[in-house]
Amino acid sequence: MRRQTVTGVVVSAALFVIAATVPVLGSRYYTFVATDIVIFAMLATSLNLLVGLSGLVSFGHAAYFGVGAYVCGILMKAGGVPFLAAWLLGGVGGALLAGVFGYFCVRLTRVYFSMLTLAFAQIVWAVCFKWNDVTGGEQGYPDVPMPDLAFLDWLPWIGSLRSGDKFYFVVLMLATVSMLAMRRIANSSFGRILTCIRDNLERTQFIGIDVRRHQLVVFTIAGGFAGLAGGLFGIFNRGVFPDFCYWPKSAEVLIMTILGGMYSFWGPSIGAAVLIILNQYIVSRTEYWPLVLGAIMLALLFAFPRGIAGAVGAAWRSRDRFNA
Amino acid sequence: MLELLDSGFVLGQLRSGVTTAIFLFLIASGLSLIFGVLRIINFAHGSLYMIGAYIAWDTTARLPGYGVSFWASVLVAACVVAVLGAVVERCLLRFVYRREEHYQLLFTYALVLIFSDAAKILWGTEAHSVSRPHGLAGSVELGGVRFPTYELVILAIGSMVVIVLWLSLNRTGYGRIIRAAALDREMLGALGTDVSSLYTTMFMAASFLAGLSGALITPIRSVVPGMDVEIIVDAFIVVVIGGLGSLWGTLLGSLVYGMVLAFGIVIFPRFSIFAAFALMALVLIIRPWGLLGRPIR
Amino acid sequence: MIIDRRKVLAGAGALAIHPRVARAQTHVIKVGVPMPLSGPAALYGQPALKGAEMFAAEVNASGGVLGRRIDILARDSKASADEAVRVARELILKENVHFLVGTMTSAEGPAVSTIAKEEKVILIAPIPKTDQLTAPRNLHPYVFRTGANTTIEGRSSAEIMAKWTNVRKVATIVHDYAYGQDVAKAFVEHLKRLRPDIEVVDQQWPKLGEADYTPFINAQLARKPDAVFSGMWGGYFVTWVKQARPLGYFETLENRIINPAEVGSIEVTRTMGADYPFGIWSNTYDIAHYDGQSEAHKKYIERVSAFTKQDPPSTWPITTYVAMQFLTEAIKKANSTDSDKVSKALLGLTIEAPFGRQTLREKDHQADRGQFYGRMVKDARGGPNAVMSEVRYVDPKPFMD
Repeated sequence: MRRQTVTGVVVSAALFVIAATVPVLGSRYYTFVATDIVIFAMLATSLNLLVGLSGLVSFGHAAYFGVGAYVCGILMKAGGVPFLAAWLLGGVGGALLAGVFGYFCVRLTRVYFSMLTLAFAQIVWAVCFKWNDVTGGEQGYPDVPMPDLAFLDWLPWIGSLRSGDKFYFVVLMLATVSMLAMRRIANSSFGRILTCIRDNLERTQFIGIDVRRHQLVVFTIAGGFAGLAGGLFGIFNRGVFPDFCYWPKSAEVLIMTILGGMYSFWGPSIGAAVLIILNQYIVSRTEYWPLVLGAIMLALLFAFPRGIAGAVGAAWRSRDRFNA
Repeated sequence: MLELLDSGFVLGQLRSGVTTAIFLFLIASGLSLIFGVLRIINFAHGSLYMIGAYIAWDTTARLPGYGVSFWASVLVAACVVAVLGAVVERCLLRFVYRREEHYQLLFTYALVLIFSDAAKILWGTEAHSVSRPHGLAGSVELGGVRFPTYELVILAIGSMVVIVLWLSLNRTGYGRIIRAAALDREMLGALGTDVSSLYTTMFMAASFLAGLSGALITPIRSVVPGMDVEIIVDAFIVVVIGGLGSLWGTLLGSLVYGMVLAFGIVIFPRFSIFAAFALMALVLIIRPWGLLGRPIR
Repeated sequence: MIIDRRKVLAGAGALAIHPRVARAQTHVIKVGVPMPLSGPAALYGQPALKGAEMFAAEVNASGGVLGRRIDILARDSKASADEAVRVARELILKENVHFLVGTMTSAEGPAVSTIAKEEKVILIAPIPKTDQLTAPRNLHPYVFRTGANTTIEGRSSAEIMAKWTNVRKVATIVHDYAYGQDVAKAFVEHLKRLRPDIEVVDQQWPKLGEADYTPFINAQLARKPDAVFSGMWGGYFVTWVKQARPLGYFETLENRIINPAEVGSIEVTRTMGADYPFGIWSNTYDIAHYDGQSEAHKKYIERVSAFTKQDPPSTWPITTYVAMQFLTEAIKKANSTDSDKVSKALLGLTIEAPFGRQTLREKDHQADRGQFYGRMVKDARGGPNAVMSEVRYVDPKPFMD
């Protein structure tokens, strides 16, 4: 147990240091890809609170991501609300919506749960698609302002960076705090109860735990973090679009989570990194990216049934065994 | 709203709702069968439908003598897609039966990507169109409403498929095995049934239906890239409304969906984009296992 | 110390990533083309891309621009706004493109425009029609449009229908999203100005991606309009016609239908063959043969035919071809590839497009781009596909504002 914690801290710290050195490479392109990855890592990790930790496979996670993006973007552009407040309110928006939808969803099991999350997400998408006056409708809500990052200027090194790099640091900081919070939740007694529910629902019920309430709470929390990720992505993407809530986006995040490894905390982040880099690489080389990406996905699913992190973890453990 | 008092208008919307329902049933029944027996949510079912449509267009364009060639190409399309389905099941899907649902879904999602690009490479990105077959281009008037003759034929074919499916599931020995497999496949395997070949047959039959519906739809819809994911979402909705794994449920779901679309636009003219999903959510909240489905453990 | 190391690393990094950066910037002019190349929108994205490729091939064969070669870097925007932004950034940050020529949908255009503004890279949008793209509050020095917008398209259609003297009751059917809403609004407003006696009796709004139009067709016929404005496009138009015809839609309306959205283009007529609703009015970006065609246009058509190995060729290459013409003329005029200089050179620039003279207006960065309109009829020479007759280029200058 203790050793696991130590490994966890070391891995987390190492990942953070690696991520923080990206701007040092000097390529704005690398910073751009890294920002994309960090935001999606956060989103995929929030989904994994449901999928991996609690066994609740949501097909509609993009809805909360999108709502967070709209709330944050609209508040910043139309309301002139400062970035940090707008960002937090985006998270609140995601959580509130997840709380309402979750109330109905957690009453259902397995595939029915998935289907209801999908239906709700599509309704959210339809609202964003049609509500021209508020969301800009199908054309989306472009030109979300970049937050004022002048407050970073006094910092020794960060202050001298380009605005894209500065924004990356802000994203990295906020994402790190969010990830640590999610990790804390996953490792808390609340998280362990969720895993109990995942592994054996009836038995957890028997020992007097209110299963639905636990599931609703984690659904709301996951929606909140998805909303926070959405707020960052809306700014990063310089605009919010109904596509953010559409089901292929939910599928994309689910792919990241499962390919990366849903039984590991860092798995979804690895999945996000792999998928985004693959996408960038393939799309810039061939218009036949669906064929290539589909084939790679099939291969990865066959090769790593427990995700990439699962495979790495297994290799790590077997090395330990040999050394011991 | 005033139109609702006009019997001709109501009949016309009814007709359009029924036609929509038949196509949805042809597509969704395969999806539902696969889920009922194989316990897989096959996201690539829409891709098989799309390939059926492309093959039908391609064969019609090549075959001489239009009147016969359309029906011949429908048959060709359905059979080729059935074989393709069997190959996919044998070579790929059977390795994922024991995995979790979301894993299987991702697996079939990867297949969707591959099939869509394969179709693009084979048939290009241009839209294609198939004319209505000879003798079925016009319409007949019944009770002041025009019924396109092709849709009447579709109505006949659809009813036939319903009857054949019901008979083969309920009145044959093989159907009994299929129903047993839906209930408890381990037990069935233990009793000595070759479950593996049963799965292949089922997947082939479902693929046949997908290919058939794709081919039959070409005279009333364009054949375009993207028709695969467009239809699969609708098919999901129908199956969920009706009840996963239930044949009559799928039929009822298709009818409900068709009617909501047909009459919804009169009551809420600009909300057809919500109608289907709202209906799906409503059914899931009130009766999660669908109108005619059974709760699964 | 840290700063020094960073500089070294940065330099090394840049070299490692872009070994040809220095050379590329002096010898090649890179033009990024984000365009939908997969999914339903690829129907037009694929042929549209050909125009830019052909233009680059021609210019390069004759020595390039300012003695520099033009490189076209195409990317699949997947018809999605965030993916279009992603590839636009990749093109700018990694490939160091000098200009962007592309985007198709009304969401992609404004989305990439924001990136163009921020990165100070010129975006010339050849296809997106949304008025928002060049509306005053969204305008900035780095965005231009060489295609028609919804105002031009809706008003051009109204100009034509206004001449149909026997029409009193008009209906519309368009998809319920930005393009449909805007083009229908522009049409209705302009028509009411031209013909105050006309009444709009019905408006149908099927959702984008609708597969079943029969309920809408039924409802529309029940209101008994004399004429219809339709905004169906591509495969949706094909589906709509297939479903409307057996219901007697075209007979009842006696083909008093005007459907812009390029359904008069060869792509659609070829797809539909004898199933095309002969008699309706439509438009197209380009047309292979028509009365009064200039020699330059005939030559252009021959070259597209040869380049794409299609006869008659697609009508979509003209979109990016004209955009590239504007771009290279501006580069020559500015004698530079610097964004600010080229942006200034583009203002009020006039070029000789294959089909006639085009000007990018200084005040809103919008070209006075009209389209070819005409009545779709059976081919008098016996071909299987519908052809456009009574062809006219509707010049939008008088009614753009």
